[in-house]
Amino acid sequence: MTIDYQQVIQKIREIAAGAKQSDEQISARRLRASSLLEAHANRLDELLYKVDQACEHDPSLRCALPVSDALNASVELPDLPPQVTLIAADGSQINPDRHAALFFSLINVGAIVIEPGSGKTPDIFTFSDLKYGEELYTDTGLLGEDLIAMGRDLAERQKLLDLAEKYPSPVVALTDGPVEVWGPKDGSLEAYRRTLETHLLVLSRLQDRDVTLGGLVDKPGANLVVRLLEIAEMHVENLKDIRKKSSLRGVSDRWLFRQLPPGARSAVFGLQSSSRAHYKGGLALHFFYLNTSSDGHPYLVRVEIPAWVAQDESKLNMLHAALISQCRILGARSYPYILHRAHEIAVVKLQEKQQVEQMLMLELLKAGAEVGEPSNKQATKDLPGRGSK
Amino acid sequence: MNEGEKMKPLQIGYLLRSGTTGFVAGCSVSQLASPALGALISAPLSSGYQVYGLIHDIHIDDDGLVRQLVTADNISQEVMRDNRERRIVPVEMSVLTVGWEQDGRISHLLPPRPPLSLDVINLCDEDELVKFTGAGSFGYFRHVLRNKDLPIGEILAAHIQQAGAAHAHKGNLLWQEQAAQELIILLRDDYPTLMSVLSALGDALPLDK
Repeated sequence: MTIDYQQVIQKIREIAAGAKQSDEQISARRLRASSLLEAHANRLDELLYKVDQACEHDPSLRCALPVSDALNASVELPDLPPQVTLIAADGSQINPDRHAALFFSLINVGAIVIEPGSGKTPDIFTFSDLKYGEELYTDTGLLGEDLIAMGRDLAERQKLLDLAEKYPSPVVALTDGPVEVWGPKDGSLEAYRRTLETHLLVLSRLQDRDVTLGGLVDKPGANLVVRLLEIAEMHVENLKDIRKKSSLRGVSDRWLFRQLPPGARSAVFGLQSSSRAHYKGGLALHFFYLNTSSDGHPYLVRVEIPAWVAQDESKLNMLHAALISQCRILGARSYPYILHRAHEIAVVKLQEKQQVEQMLMLELLKAGAEVGEPSNKQATKDLPGRGSK
Repeated sequence: MNEGEKMKPLQIGYLLRSGTTGFVAGCSVSQLASPALGALISAPLSSGYQVYGLIHDIHIDDDGLVRQLVTADNISQEVMRDNRERRIVPVEMSVLTVGWEQDGRISHLLPPRPPLSLDVINLCDEDELVKFTGAGSFGYFRHVLRNKDLPIGEILAAHIQQAGAAHAHKGNLLWQEQAAQELIILLRDDYPTLMSVLSALGDALPLDK
């Protein structure tokens, strides 16, 4: 059976009918958000105080923290230093699938090193980690998708560190996605704690190596600065209800910073989140927004950085310039070339997954080990011509 | 140079797919400096058996990233080298099968069986070129001439130029002229193709007036 388009079209018409009203609501909120940004641009101490108060009522509050720049500051594109090493790493994974014939996981990390202006051919690297059998279990059970994703993130950072130690300084190291490692939804807390400890260790070593680290979040959905503005317009005595209040719902940070000129970045903000307790000192998480477009159509990305980068203007400028120069390579679709290449190197295609599975099965059979078979459900789905997955 | 000192063949790629009348070889962009239109190549198989072919097309596919890159203002040397040397962008060479060899004996007939996937493809050196093109009496031309949808004149002109130079280097200054004469005979009943081939040969070769 296919979709019941009669039912869907009815819902689509309802959505379209309500869209105009919804747009008007959001327009009003956007105007208010813009006014709040201007009005509180330099009231940093007051905002910090209010965020502190709000955190007392909601320790898991996630919002921006003013640092030293005005909230509405705009920093023009600086020059890229003549000699710099750019490194990017990205990862992909095969999660264990109980419907497949074999139960295994694979983390694949791709990395690329470019020395802009050198004329040298970039170096590329891959790192593949296959796990099978007992390796797929933690103290509390099976490795879940979240824990494998964390392992992948950690392997990416580890690869950045390995390469940063081998190439000439200054080094700019980039990842796709935030610097922060997210906790598992379904994995064990103990495994998360161990991964986080290792992650913090890797970050510290990157800091010791004086690496300029940045994590790029493309088309960010976060409303961290908008959330700060919501706090700004609340009275201190109402902050106890911060969890329930979302007066600027529908306004995004991307919209708020669309006025940044092409190539410019916003002020640097601190990141208030439940993980703030883990990322301390030089590792404290910060971010800025960057307009990567080169024309009148703003395209905002969020760049997450540790404090050791946020507090060093030369590193900040180098990261800013490196990201824009990489975005310019791809023309109209302004995404850093180096991150795209890292992704391209890392990605595991279905055909490759099947090949690994086949290789593993052959070796197991040769060794006389027991191998499973796909579930009947999966085998039926794989029948040709069904058109279902 | 004795047998023991014989130069290692110049590998230019691996076989992707094949049939009796032709095959397609692939190589990376960094290997592209050697193969040329009209060049004689060989696919050495087993126990003294090898298949010969003439390159009639060299094809480089684009992909989404390359299409995106050409929209940018300028492409740096690093990005260019990354795309040419690091990315998986195979160069495809289409080859017309023109003969085969068994235990040193050259035949200009189609081979008994084609090469297999991933067989090594070598560029023939001067000795091999002279050996193959000097065997028989240009019988391999018919494999090219029956492919009317290919730029026959350009392929033959490029091939005769390369083979003629090899023969001349070995002291045979007549080969080129004999090849042109043979083509005139083979195409005597096909005036449009003959004119097209002669026109290409005229552009490629320093013909005596």
